Amino acid sequence: MLTNKDLYPRIVASKNFIDQNYYKLLRLEDISREACISCYHFHRLFTCTYGKTPHEYLTLKRLHHAKILLQQEGISIKDICFNVGFESIASFSLLFRKRNGYAPQYYRNLAYFKNKLLKEQPARFIPHCIIENMAGK
Amino acid sequence: MITKLSHTTLFVTDQDKAHDFYVNKLGFTVKTDARMTNGFRWLTVSPPEQPNIEIALLSPLHEGMSYDEETRKAFKYLLDKNALGAGVLYTPDCRATYEELKAKGVVFKCEPREQFYGIEAVITDSCGNWFSMTQPKEM
Repeated sequence: MLTNKDLYPRIVASKNFIDQNYYKLLRLEDISREACISCYHFHRLFTCTYGKTPHEYLTLKRLHHAKILLQQEGISIKDICFNVGFESIASFSLLFRKRNGYAPQYYRNLAYFKNKLLKEQPARFIPHCIIENMAGK
Repeated sequence: MITKLSHTTLFVTDQDKAHDFYVNKLGFTVKTDARMTNGFRWLTVSPPEQPNIEIALLSPLHEGMSYDEETRKAFKYLLDKNALGAGVLYTPDCRATYEELKAKGVVFKCEPREQFYGIEAVITDSCGNWFSMTQPKEM
């Protein structure tokens, strides 16, 4: 928790900056500039506020958007990797696997079959008791 | 032996509006969005760091639900009055999250204030529910 409450809008502005620019090459200096705070203090304040370093937060943001894109067809994993801001497929795959427990291609396959089933047999995803007691005829 | 809570239901006035609130504003993830041919929609979301719990956002007012007119009216009355809900959402920093969500247009019933258990603000989902948004005090 920050002791100076005036710093909150600045730290939030820097988080919003990451949210909007995660796909670009972002350095700590670029992010801390948004908060008008020196790199050293910014790193400490951001970590104290969100429980993650700016770099950890940026990586999570990129992986989150990669998951959304992996659910779509017509875009290669290589393009997804670069579109969300990673600089190499190796680091993207490694971080994705570390975070989610499986490789991007495996996640893509799972998402494809889930979406297909959701359209064809939606009832398979809904607890039967809910359908019996809540869904209309 | 029951070991975990896996699903819970949150009744909302409108599922599209609820989707926008929980996904686009709070950053929750959609787990399942299944639509049956009779219009029933099973929409579940999970908080960013709790992928194993699914909150089903169900609208009792929706035509796909089997409730009769009297029950629908009762739900509508309670949701419009904000008489349901009351859960607690965890945040590592209440004041920062307040600033962030306020800028996104989220309506607060109460601004962050010190409580003996931490810092708490009260947030509404504009779909009939409200929550305590709490940064617990380290004890």
